Amino acid sequence: MAQVPIQRHVLANGLRVILSRDPRAPLVAVNLWYDVGSKHEKAGKTGFAHLFEHMMFQGSANVEKGQHFSLVQAAGGTLNASTWLDRTNYFETLPGHELELALWLEADRMASLLPAMTQEKLDNQRDVVKNERRFSVDNQPYGDWDERIQALVYPKGHPYHHSTIGSMEDLSAASLADVSDFFATWYAPNNAVLTVAGDFETDVALAMIERHFGPIPANPSLPGAPDMTVDEHIGGDIRVTVPDQVPLPRIYLAHRAPPFGSDAFEAFEVASDILGSGRASRLYGSLVREQRLAQDAAAFVFPIVGGASMFVFWVTARPGVDLVKLEAALLAELERLATEPPSDADLERVRNLHASHFSGGLERISERADRLSMYTCLFDEPERINSEVSRYVGVDAEGVSDALGSFIHADNRVTLTYVPAEAAT
Amino acid sequence: MIARPVAGAPRPYTFPDFVSHRLPNGLGVWLVPLPERELVSVHLLTDAGAATEDEAQAGVASLTAQLLVTGTHRLDAAAFAETTERLGIVVSSESSWDSARAGFVALGQHLDAGLELLADMVRGPRLDASEFERLRAERLNDILQGRAEPGRLADESFLREVYADDVPYGRLSAGRPETVEPLTIEQVRAFHASRYAPNVADIIIAGAIEPDVALRTVEQHLGEWTGSGPGHRSIQASARGGRRVVIVDRPGSVQSELRVGHVGIDRGDPRYFSAMVMSALLGGVFGSRLNMRLREELGYTYGARCSFDPRRAAGPFIASAAVETDVTAKAVRELLGQLDRIRDAPPTETELAEVRDYLVGVFPLRFETTAGIAAAIEPLAVYDLPDEWWHAYRSNLEAVAVSDVHAVARELIHPDEALILIVGDASKVRDELAAADLGAVEVISAD
Repeated sequence: MAQVPIQRHVLANGLRVILSRDPRAPLVAVNLWYDVGSKHEKAGKTGFAHLFEHMMFQGSANVEKGQHFSLVQAAGGTLNASTWLDRTNYFETLPGHELELALWLEADRMASLLPAMTQEKLDNQRDVVKNERRFSVDNQPYGDWDERIQALVYPKGHPYHHSTIGSMEDLSAASLADVSDFFATWYAPNNAVLTVAGDFETDVALAMIERHFGPIPANPSLPGAPDMTVDEHIGGDIRVTVPDQVPLPRIYLAHRAPPFGSDAFEAFEVASDILGSGRASRLYGSLVREQRLAQDAAAFVFPIVGGASMFVFWVTARPGVDLVKLEAALLAELERLATEPPSDADLERVRNLHASHFSGGLERISERADRLSMYTCLFDEPERINSEVSRYVGVDAEGVSDALGSFIHADNRVTLTYVPAEAAT
Repeated sequence: MIARPVAGAPRPYTFPDFVSHRLPNGLGVWLVPLPERELVSVHLLTDAGAATEDEAQAGVASLTAQLLVTGTHRLDAAAFAETTERLGIVVSSESSWDSARAGFVALGQHLDAGLELLADMVRGPRLDASEFERLRAERLNDILQGRAEPGRLADESFLREVYADDVPYGRLSAGRPETVEPLTIEQVRAFHASRYAPNVADIIIAGAIEPDVALRTVEQHLGEWTGSGPGHRSIQASARGGRRVVIVDRPGSVQSELRVGHVGIDRGDPRYFSAMVMSALLGGVFGSRLNMRLREELGYTYGARCSFDPRRAAGPFIASAAVETDVTAKAVRELLGQLDRIRDAPPTETELAEVRDYLVGVFPLRFETTAGIAAAIEPLAVYDLPDEWWHAYRSNLEAVAVSDVHAVARELIHPDEALILIVGDASKVRDELAAADLGAVEVISAD
């Protein structure tokens, strides 16, 4: 596996800069992670970190509304941003000779967003975000599963208890003063990581970065991370049934798991692949192909860093299948992996799938840049990109079973079941 | 503050060189060597898509394609999955209207082993009756699930309502429940035996390869493949026609999914480049007219867009958005207003330049991955486009002028003939839509 080259710099204002040169294609990726996500939101302000992300495209001192998109696209680039529990990222990929345009745009909004803010823009983006919520959550079958799971897995008041999209009520309450406060608090160079990957000359890129980002002042009173402390296990077997406009029932199982970045986390990645990745996976083989109880099956672990992560499964029932039987069959597969360590063949399969998938992901410089920003922002260790594969391979058979045995049990479980609304009455 | 920077000099980029061969059995072989890559992408295309199936068996092409990954004569479903995945390979197989595609991405050293399995799967699939029953049931369930999702329900309903009654394009390429349910394993076996053949197939390999070695590997695994397939039939893509408003009732919806459009163009249309630029300007990029108006000015939606879907015959042109229920009629008016506007006057030079520069400039970014490059060769194989297609692509885009955009909009955008389809809560939107005088309003049930 080829190593991803990494050069690390820190500007005087605290901005961490990662450069990863790769001149194979005449393209460059610019990626910024701000260490702020929905876990930093205060009570009554759910959804604000994401609404704020939208405001970052509404112009800044030297950029008109809409111009951020139009300038990058006219340069032949693509761009977007996203907000999640732990962080917010902003990214552009464009022809290498347009690198400075992306740096200038990112620096302009980091330095001077507020002069461009108006009530009209906030009202407009509030409507857009409410429609995003309707589109992705409220008007979709099973659309609120993650919101419900988070609220059940984490106790009230925990920063992961609420969803990133937030509530309609809190979105309605967001004000321009909130925009100013949030910007002044979190959008500072000492709370961000800037990664540039692809086709550039190192000295030239560094000079550009210093020129555009160097003058932006740090926030000397950056707040610490919120208290994420939470018990290792949920301490119960919580069951919730939701009647919804769904044609087929679906069962979600969620457990607290060790946080992303801990040594124990790796075993859950391997376990989730043995159980849920590919047509030779345990869940697909048993529940979908052989027993024919499920239409589909999935297993995944959330890469989130605070207190506890979540290990989640879902299975969609075939019509007429007894849900008790389906749930028992799912639990039986989890139990089997917890009590019998996986075989060498199991491990060979998931390790080789992981290696291909890892190489496939890193074909895109945007993906490389995003992972470098992630490892720097979350762990201050960009080099983790080059040990991803060896850390995965380092998990042995007993490690997988031990991990399941310690966390996948009835004292650490949420079972959320969607059933067709008409069948529930 | 520092002024907006001026771009440096662009580094030239050309689409990777490739070679093509034809084996004696008729199989087309396209090889794209990409130095310094770890991966190789393999796409095997056969003219065995939905356009080759009998309408009474609509969905047989899709089920056949799906069934290929459930084993070969040598390996049953579990063993086939285990064998491929232990090489780090997840084999895919699916079909569209114009082709069936089987393929994989793998580390370069697994090309030979992967090709052997792929060739076995396409030439001698197991086509097991029990696995067929399972996949057919899953397909029927998936159609049910799709109809519960407002976006997928809108897409499927739009096709049914926009094409004339007997046009195949009026359904999903994967078929309708009424035709999928009675399908048999014998029909799948017969479909495979008659449609999968080297004379109507092409294999594309892009990535970490030596072309000579790759060609010998293909000859070894697919050179002995025999048979002759009929290929596709021709489809007459006639429209039902007439301006209509159709509400697909989905009680309790908090948004309305809008689909506004009509029959569009086929893949061979000489106006292809003008149409692509026009469509991007109208609704193909973030800064397009539809998105700027409906999202960034009015806040009606998370996003508004439009596109053509050119196939061997004319696929649909659709403008779409999911809008808050309360503004449904207003949003339809706004959407129609943008269709009128692009017909009424040519765009400005600045507007055109922005979109054209995007399409031209984003060219290398589309080909960052081996899979992206293999996919780029597909239309050359499927639609017999000239080998120079991608070399001429950017200059063809650059040649599009404002007058071309205006002309093609007048020829291809027809708001007066548009089907206006809404998936939403009829009790909340019907009266307002009727009062808006957009055309005769029909309400139909989602089932």
